[in-house]
Amino acid sequence: MIAFIVRRLLTGLVLLAAITTFGFTLLYLGGGDIARKILGESADAQTVAQKSHELGLDRPVLAQYGDWVAHAFSGDFGSSWFTGQTVSAAIFSRLSVTLSLVIGTVLVVAVVSVVLGVLAATKRGWIDKVAQLLAILGHAIPGFLFAVGLVLFFALTLGWFDPTGYVPFTEDPTGWVKTVTLPVIALALGGIANVTQQIRGAVIDALRNDYVRTLRSHGIPERRVILKHVLRNAAGPALAVLAVIFVGLLGGAVIVEQVFAIPGLGQVAVQATTQGDIPLVMGLLVATGVIVIVFNLLVDLAQGWLNPKVRLS
Amino acid sequence: MRFQKAAVAAVIAAGLALAGCGGGGGGNTGGAAKTAPSLVLGNIIPPQTFEARNLNWGNQSIYFQAVYDSLLKPSPNGKDVEANLATQWEYNADKTILTMKLREDVTFTDGTPFTAEVAAQNLLRFRDGTSPQRSKVVDMVNAAAKDKNTLEITLKQANPAFLIYLAQAAGMQESPAAFSKSDVQTNPVGSGPYTLNTGSTVVGTSYKFDKNPKYWNADAVKYDSLTINVYNDATSLLNALRGKQLDASAINDVSIIPQVKAAGFTDNGSSLNFAGLMLFDRAGQSNPALGKVEVRQAINYAVDRDAFLKAVGLGFGEVTGQVFREDSPAYDKSLNDKYKFDPAKAKDLLAKAGYPKGFELTIPTAPGFPKQMWPLLQQQLSDVGIKVSYVDVGQNIIPDLQSKKYGVSYFTLQRDANEWQLISNLLAPTATWNTFKYQDPKVDALIGKIRTAEGADRDAALKELNQYVVDQAWFAPWYTPTNFFVTNAKTKVELNQGNAWPNLWNITPKA
Repeated sequence: MIAFIVRRLLTGLVLLAAITTFGFTLLYLGGGDIARKILGESADAQTVAQKSHELGLDRPVLAQYGDWVAHAFSGDFGSSWFTGQTVSAAIFSRLSVTLSLVIGTVLVVAVVSVVLGVLAATKRGWIDKVAQLLAILGHAIPGFLFAVGLVLFFALTLGWFDPTGYVPFTEDPTGWVKTVTLPVIALALGGIANVTQQIRGAVIDALRNDYVRTLRSHGIPERRVILKHVLRNAAGPALAVLAVIFVGLLGGAVIVEQVFAIPGLGQVAVQATTQGDIPLVMGLLVATGVIVIVFNLLVDLAQGWLNPKVRLS
Repeated sequence: MRFQKAAVAAVIAAGLALAGCGGGGGGNTGGAAKTAPSLVLGNIIPPQTFEARNLNWGNQSIYFQAVYDSLLKPSPNGKDVEANLATQWEYNADKTILTMKLREDVTFTDGTPFTAEVAAQNLLRFRDGTSPQRSKVVDMVNAAAKDKNTLEITLKQANPAFLIYLAQAAGMQESPAAFSKSDVQTNPVGSGPYTLNTGSTVVGTSYKFDKNPKYWNADAVKYDSLTINVYNDATSLLNALRGKQLDASAINDVSIIPQVKAAGFTDNGSSLNFAGLMLFDRAGQSNPALGKVEVRQAINYAVDRDAFLKAVGLGFGEVTGQVFREDSPAYDKSLNDKYKFDPAKAKDLLAKAGYPKGFELTIPTAPGFPKQMWPLLQQQLSDVGIKVSYVDVGQNIIPDLQSKKYGVSYFTLQRDANEWQLISNLLAPTATWNTFKYQDPKVDALIGKIRTAEGADRDAALKELNQYVVDQAWFAPWYTPTNFFVTNAKTKVELNQGNAWPNLWNITPKA
């Protein structure tokens, strides 16, 4: 087990080195005149040249990358060229916001999908039709449109939630609930559509297995058969999809973050990339890379716990 | 097994709660209940830095007026200045030495006293820094303290807009103790009416300010706290306004104005910019045709300004034919009709210039430009024989224009209320937006005269300069878009004719 974890972490380090090198190259090639972008339209050419020199942008790309690597190894990721904030502070202040959304979304997706998927597979009938309809709607309705609809109805018409903004849990738990609920629902819709189908299909397959018939013939209550045996066997594919959703939301919640004006990682990632804010983008690459590597490792371990066959492979 | 389930549940719950706890304060970007007089503003961009030597202005000015004091205050008319940290000031005869008397009762929030020596240091640091506004103080040779509260600024040559600059970014005063601090970019130390609450601020998204309890001009501070939220998306800004989360806001997309008004906000409009085609290459370096004045005039005649105001500006604005403002002595209303839409005349002028079959013109496009204008512009120029091809330059539009890659471009540029500011920005040979650094002896002579003239002589020179620039078709202005600043029923504002944002002290509670 320990050897497996060490091997996976070492692979992760190699992956991280490859991602950052590739990312830096792309940013450098597509960066354009970053000093001009920072200073805007009113700065004169002399000031732009001075800014470029100050940031080291007039040096060879290899020297710039070498500098970044050296500083990164000592834990110094520099400061954003567009806000002056240290990269670590920029990421940590937004990571908590994004994790609020992502963990909340994954939880909602997991709970709703399991309930709906199991009911659809076992009861069939109208509830199955509802699940199928939800799957179609979840895939057909763009997340941002759903988000705008939620804001219009629940925030602006009913006034139950704040239409924009984010309140930290420590500052005001009620405010936190009022600001994260709608974004979480908006983000969860697509995931529920996807994972419900996975669970429904996997449960139907599992119900056809011989061991289910055996369990039932031994008089094991149906509820226990489903929850303890069938669901455990059916959870593998759903867990894999949940892992993909988690990773995707880390940087992919940008449109919903924008609609709700939430200061999350996705929003800052898109903005930093568009602007050519190399220190911040590189910091984000490292942070999300580490999270994804660690999270995937945890998912693999969870898969092994659910299914001993995976442990062997 | 039960223990495992409980453990998993506990880990998930803890994760969610910890995530919600929010390192760095997070910050409410709106919506919290107000228990004390507070002001919540919406802005379209965050400040790039709070370091005084590198400050920008325009839409960022509101952040700096909260934490810093400037030597002078800009008047809402955009042309004049008022006393602030400097209480008296006077120039010598040739206007190259400016002497200022400074307040003696001001201390920075870290306890450091404000003196003439500190003011001199701040000015010199700004001149030597990398602020986008730095070019405005290049005429400053030196700044020195004559005594504890007397500052002397020496200029290379007279600069009629210098006092205005001291009321903007260049005049902002930062504590010298903060100069070398590692967090100087995000933790400002000034003497202004508010202090930045770094614990509750989310850099780039939401900025919280607390009232400075020791502010020297306490009567001017109308709110106990100030929050400025950043919305780079028109939909979220509209939702925040409709959800009553903001007291006032700048608007970055005029299409939302009807909905904002329907939500009970007042749309206070001003006219700061002009939009149109900038005919930068007046010597024909990038395209020989542009060197002919008849060709530039033809481009003016070929464009239906009313159509562009309607299609691009959604009708919010006024058609114009000149770059000077309506309240300027340079302004001549008749110039707005000089190039009235006349494709036939445009064709004649092209033929006269030696281009009877027209010519080819490359125009850059960029993501921020209104897309609906491109087919209209292409069609109208094509109707007179000018074959337009577009090149998408993405985010590099400003660097490409500044490096003379394109002789003509659509752009929106500021019409500064102070005429010297406008000349320095658009017309002078060294102007940032005279991208080809085009020089014309008559323009040079008039600028030289305006630099030192006063009263009627200055006004006449300004009028002549405006007339000449329009005659020579340096630009093809279409319209002056309305800049909106919306306020709710509890808030009133006096707009600033010299800046995109009102002065902070001109945003006040309604009595």
